[in-house]
Amino acid sequence: MWQQIEESLRDSMGRVFTKIATLLPGILAFVLVLLIFLIIAWLIAMLVRSVLRAVKFDERTSSTSTLSEWAPRQTPTILVTRVVFWSFVIIGVLVGVSAFEAASAESGISAYVFAYVPRVIGAAVLLFFGTIIGRFLSRSVLITSVNLNLHYARLLATGVRWLVFVLTAAMVLDHLAIGGEIVDLAFGILFGGIVLALALAVGLGSRELVSRSLEREASRPVEVPVEEKKLHHF
Amino acid sequence: MPKSDLAEETKNDVEQTGPVDLLIGIAGAVNKGELLQYLQNMSAGLSTTAQSSHVVVAYPGSSELENSEAEMLAGTVGVNAPRFLQYSLPAGDPAVLPWTIASAAQKAICSLAVELGAKVCVLIHSDLAMLTPEKLRLLTSPVLEKACDLVVPMYSSRKFEGLLNHSILAPIARALYGQRVRYPLAQDLSCSARMCGKLSETDNARERSESSLLWPTTQAALNNYQVCQVNVDVQHATQTERLDLSTVLSSLVGSAYLEMETYAPYWQRVRGSHPTAVSGNTAQQIGDGEPVDAKPLIDSFLLGSHNLQEVWGLVLPPVTLLELKKLARSSPEAFRMPDDLWVRIVYDFALAHRLRTINRGHLMGALTPLYLGWVASYAQEVAALSPFAAEQRFEQLARSYEEGKPYLVSRWRWPDRFNP
Repeated sequence: MWQQIEESLRDSMGRVFTKIATLLPGILAFVLVLLIFLIIAWLIAMLVRSVLRAVKFDERTSSTSTLSEWAPRQTPTILVTRVVFWSFVIIGVLVGVSAFEAASAESGISAYVFAYVPRVIGAAVLLFFGTIIGRFLSRSVLITSVNLNLHYARLLATGVRWLVFVLTAAMVLDHLAIGGEIVDLAFGILFGGIVLALALAVGLGSRELVSRSLEREASRPVEVPVEEKKLHHF
Repeated sequence: MPKSDLAEETKNDVEQTGPVDLLIGIAGAVNKGELLQYLQNMSAGLSTTAQSSHVVVAYPGSSELENSEAEMLAGTVGVNAPRFLQYSLPAGDPAVLPWTIASAAQKAICSLAVELGAKVCVLIHSDLAMLTPEKLRLLTSPVLEKACDLVVPMYSSRKFEGLLNHSILAPIARALYGQRVRYPLAQDLSCSARMCGKLSETDNARERSESSLLWPTTQAALNNYQVCQVNVDVQHATQTERLDLSTVLSSLVGSAYLEMETYAPYWQRVRGSHPTAVSGNTAQQIGDGEPVDAKPLIDSFLLGSHNLQEVWGLVLPPVTLLELKKLARSSPEAFRMPDDLWVRIVYDFALAHRLRTINRGHLMGALTPLYLGWVASYAQEVAALSPFAAEQRFEQLARSYEEGKPYLVSRWRWPDRFNP
């Protein structure tokens, strides 16, 4: 019996090592291609950055740039450079997958990966715009709340930012077909929780204000406070 | 506005009118009854004082003044009665701010003046407070007798009125364009024929949006035209009621910043400022006012200081941020914003507006708590001072703007290298 156990262990180990030996060239080819494309991407990104700075790309686009207002810390040059870099990295990944498939004689992997690439690109675009929109809306809410003398301005702004980020994350995961219904459920609970928390914070914090406002409306027309009549800005 | 843009009816009227000595334009929609009353009084006054002058009154077409009523009014006065012309005012959009409408009307009237060949054009605020023979004489005399190209009024005001004008608009216009004008964004003014020509020119590069305002004093400075001021005892109704301060700042200060951006090559060469000729009753223009509680204003500033440091950090240099933090830690009684700090803040925001460091709407919103901080500081400073001392306070602030101009020029030219 021990002999049979030893034989089956020897057979299974042999199969695993054979499989590893079959896949190893493909894995090494994938890593090598990826490294090569990383170096190419880095070099080309440096070249693009130098060219764009030489032609004063930021200054030329600043007069009409909407992006600079939405994402002030990301200059157009930095954004273009990063797009170029990651484009080459993605190409390197695709080439590496093809090399892995060719070297390991595993079929179907390339087709699956290539079919998934548009989803990845779409998800990246969603993530990019979601981040920008979240920051923009958060700042809008913060500044408006401060000017309305709301002491929970920062809380509101943070809440809005996280709402948009959570929504964006859910859309990205859904687009990548990751998680399925679990993501939908988690998003619903999280989003609803954030909205409930904000509503409670605003409602509880301003219940006296609302109560006084309703009392004033019920009793008589609102009078302009005396102080407002004394100060004229224009 | 070229002749082809005028309404058909107006074109016909222009052709029939002939050369005009004086065009009086009402810059904005008016109440019909009120207009008729003012015109009756004004017509009588004008007829006795300007017998040989050909006077035309232009009013907006939306005022619902029937042609028959205008003719009847003109007919009751005499041979040299003013003629009445309608001009088309852009359709009233509730979202458009009142001074934007007034600027559009002023441009339309100036275009009409050019078409009519008017020697003098007087633009009147739609509340018609300036539509009296005496005030019209005050506005037209410098143009006719002293060869002034632009006459703007110096309105009477109290210590706590017109603060946005006194804290930002007037001093920045003085420092940049070298003319000491109390109210550069005039609501009433008179101008010569050549000044009308300049004001009516449509510059597509400048009029990038429907919200552009007309800055007559800037145009006069650019063309080296003579500007005069007249003291008038008039106060127009506050136009900022029901508007939040951020909207007002965004519109008025934003427009001033846009003018800065457009005329940067000019104002960078201007050094110092020169006074303008003043006529009319030289009685004190600044009256007293009731004391203002600065605490809510200080609270607004402190709220901004606690929450907007990240935003202010994108616009203001470290030295200014440090001073603002010190100011936030001071007691309410000792809350004083130095003039040089306020001047640097205004200039830094102008630079950020030009560079689009952040969204322009956000930028002007972030300026609001800082402006309220200045108002609080000013209110506490002048509470115990006389109106004359308050007026001197504005003069001191204006000088600070001039002294701080090299800072603006340096930052404007080298925004990355010069960042104290």
